[in-house]
Amino acid sequence: MSPNSWVIEMAAHKSRLQVRRSLSPHPHALGSDAFVRSPHAPVGNPVFEDIGTILSVLKASGLLPIYEQVSSFEVGPPTRTNEFYSFFVRGVVHALTIFNIYSLMTPNGAKLFISLRETDNVNQWIELLLCILTYTLTVFVCARNTKCIIQIMNEILKLDQEVLRQFGVALSNNCNFSIKFLLLIAACQAYIIFIRIHVLDGVITPTTYILIGFYAIQNGLTATYIVFASALLRIVCIRFQFVNRLLNGYSYAQLLGKSRRQLQSHMESFPEDSLFIYRTHNRLLRIYKSINECCSLIIVCFLGYSFYTVTTNWYNLFVQITNNKGVISSHIMQWCLAWLCLHTALLTLLSRSCGATTNEANITSQILARVYGKSKEFQNIIDKFLTKSIKQEVQFTAYGFFAIDNSTLFKIFSAVTTYLVILIQFKQLEDSKLEEQLQETN
Amino acid sequence: MSQVTPMVQPLLLQFQQLFFLSKVVGVLPQDLTKFRHKNVLEKSRNGMIYMLGMLALYVGLYNLLIYSFSEEDRTLKATQSTLTFVIGLFLTYIGLIMMATDQVTALFNQGKLGELYERIRVVDERLYREQCLVNNSCIAKRIRIMLVMTIIFELFILLTTYIELVDYTQWLSLLWMVSAIPTFINTLDKIWFAVSLFALKERFEAINATLEDLVTEHEKFQTWLTGDADAPEPHTADSSETQPPQYDSNLEYLYKELGGIDIGSLRGSGGKNNKVAPIAHSLNSFGESIQTPRKPHQPNPNPMMNMAHESELSNATKVEEKLNNLCQVHDEICEIGKAMNGLWSYPILSLMAYGFLIFTAQLYFLYCATRAQSIPSLFRSAKNPFITVIVLVYTSGKCIYLIYLSWKTSLASKRTGISLHKCGVVADDNLLYEIVNHLSLKLLNHSVDFSACGFFTLDMETLYGVSGGITSYLIILIQFNLAAQQAKDAIQSFNSFNDTAGLVGAATEFGNESSTLYDLVTTTMMTPSNY
Repeated sequence: MSPNSWVIEMAAHKSRLQVRRSLSPHPHALGSDAFVRSPHAPVGNPVFEDIGTILSVLKASGLLPIYEQVSSFEVGPPTRTNEFYSFFVRGVVHALTIFNIYSLMTPNGAKLFISLRETDNVNQWIELLLCILTYTLTVFVCARNTKCIIQIMNEILKLDQEVLRQFGVALSNNCNFSIKFLLLIAACQAYIIFIRIHVLDGVITPTTYILIGFYAIQNGLTATYIVFASALLRIVCIRFQFVNRLLNGYSYAQLLGKSRRQLQSHMESFPEDSLFIYRTHNRLLRIYKSINECCSLIIVCFLGYSFYTVTTNWYNLFVQITNNKGVISSHIMQWCLAWLCLHTALLTLLSRSCGATTNEANITSQILARVYGKSKEFQNIIDKFLTKSIKQEVQFTAYGFFAIDNSTLFKIFSAVTTYLVILIQFKQLEDSKLEEQLQETN
Repeated sequence: MSQVTPMVQPLLLQFQQLFFLSKVVGVLPQDLTKFRHKNVLEKSRNGMIYMLGMLALYVGLYNLLIYSFSEEDRTLKATQSTLTFVIGLFLTYIGLIMMATDQVTALFNQGKLGELYERIRVVDERLYREQCLVNNSCIAKRIRIMLVMTIIFELFILLTTYIELVDYTQWLSLLWMVSAIPTFINTLDKIWFAVSLFALKERFEAINATLEDLVTEHEKFQTWLTGDADAPEPHTADSSETQPPQYDSNLEYLYKELGGIDIGSLRGSGGKNNKVAPIAHSLNSFGESIQTPRKPHQPNPNPMMNMAHESELSNATKVEEKLNNLCQVHDEICEIGKAMNGLWSYPILSLMAYGFLIFTAQLYFLYCATRAQSIPSLFRSAKNPFITVIVLVYTSGKCIYLIYLSWKTSLASKRTGISLHKCGVVADDNLLYEIVNHLSLKLLNHSVDFSACGFFTLDMETLYGVSGGITSYLIILIQFNLAAQQAKDAIQSFNSFNDTAGLVGAATEFGNESSTLYDLVTTTMMTPSNY
């Protein structure tokens, strides 16, 4: 799990690819060699080792099924008891949610809010409700998509198996970021809980503890799910990258300094490889689409929640900084900064991984357009794929509302700025009115 | 072409003055002497140190400027709302941020920039081999025009503001000159980008023109073929009319048989024409402008009536090679465009942010100035509407030109497909159709879209969006400014009443009745302000 492991693996992987290139006239020999080697592949290792931590967190919280590992390239449905466990956890979650909503209605819940003004309380109410809504939705959608998730995992594993068999390359997942994000989420939430309890005065009842704790858990788990979705996207992205690299070997830039004979032997394996590439690309697209279907509702909800949180926190931060009374509440500032840090990081991660995967998926046809086939046969192979991908727009959409990529990040932040400008102006207007009233009463 | 292809002249030859200026001002760190002798951009450690020194100097001077002029802002801070002040502070530093982004990016990219121009040179060579020439000479002219425009704008803004609006009796006011540095350096950097982009656009257009020339040539060839075949043998003419034109090549063959030696010599002269023109042109672009540059594939200005036309399009296998090469060059240019966009992505993002903010701010402060409100001292040019207009033209001109050029370049790259299809339609040959189909599928996948870090693409749509954004922000700001002003007026009128009331109260302060009198005065005087 060291950060360097990926680099080392990539180097080995590249050299293997090169070996394969030099041996390309005899692909079968190498194929059988890889086949011989495959039993040596770690059978006992759990699948998706890189995101193991995040998977176990999500499994424990009932968001993901506790699947059984059939072999190193297949996972099976969960056993009866595990299924029951997930079901039980989800039931507890829903019960807690109802309990929380109930206790928020009682005066006990009102203590939760660090109140500044009336509008701020309303803001916090909305934020809480949005959080509860997002998490409840996540739980529901996850419960419905159990089979879908297992299917996606199986498809990815099957693809890995095929790659290993054909090319002798074990694809790494490079998902170390998931652990960092998990730590970030945990740290932010713990910090927020700490500040919250620190600020509260008076007797704190156990109900309040439950409220605060459950709120943090809700936030944390939703965020973890988003990281999980990003990790899945990253995994798909790496597969796309592999396909693209494979294809790039045939582009004319690689063939510039070669003699005619070398060229011919080089292109010999193209029909076979292209078949593999097209099939893999199609399967990856299918996987990408099913990931999108699984997560998009949750992602829409999360984006909305995130947008709201970021806006209100920026606003609060600004109000604190420009406070005319000269008293800057450091608690609220830290609190706002923690929220901002968490949500900005998550938004960036999500949009970047979506953007990268979409980009890799779309670039395949561009690389293929660079493959130079002299004979009609090659040209026909190329044309078929290009024709297929003309109007095939690959996008990761948020439930069909909008496509998520880097520009989404830009749009969200420009919208936040606009709202901030309006809100701050209103606040200043309000302040000057307040001053006027104060002077009048004097 | 059997002869050894002569070296095409590198694009960087045209950049002499610009490079010298950029080097002196500290926009680019590359080695000056190597550029002079070999026309290459190479890394240079001394240049890097010099550039970092210049950057530090500029930052120091600019901060000094802000500090020395912030005396006037003291009062402003007291009267103005915090938001306006914070925004004002941000706006003062955005210019500096933009300049620093440009310079730091140039430092990081100093190796890659040379590679980029080397790739362009290789592309030029390949284009030359395909007899598709690009005229570089207008680039130098373009650079000169841009430089002159920049200097005129900068000097005008600087001097008019200095004379009109700065108190030049103090020697410290000379620091005002520093305020022009960030925009000037930014503009120099953007001229590099704009001119290189323009060069790419020209290459796309050259490819398109080559394809179109193939078409016109083939059309001429066909008309000549039918017209000429008409006279000697009516039978063949009939057949050429009734039969589909893909037998044109057969006809050509027939004509060759009939025409014999005469056509061969004529064709030779045609070929020579094609060969002579590029050399004349290349001489031309080396500075000896004796002949007007002429494209080799342009139809002859004085077409001889009986001249034998030849068309490459009638020979599908021969033209396949050429079309394939053109397609590959097109892809390479697209890749260069992408790489160029990558090199300049952060500077462009910062320029767009700067343009948006400064445009909005300048207009808003112009409004403030017409209402006799105080504005940040660094935006004093907004006090004069005429200077404001010039500033706006200068800033928006920079942004819009870049966006427009990016848009045009990606349009030109997309046009190649159309030109290619024209070839297919004109030739009307099954074999050629297949080639065209294959290549146009490939061309479809060569995409060059210019974007700022992937956040937004640089095209007309974005320009529309940005102008919409500026308008709505202005409306919001002005509305709130109005409301705040009204509120302030109300408070002030209240305060002035209070003051007079206080005076009256002090004057009539005797005995116990004073307070009641005071109350009376206040209430009576307060009434008008409460209407």
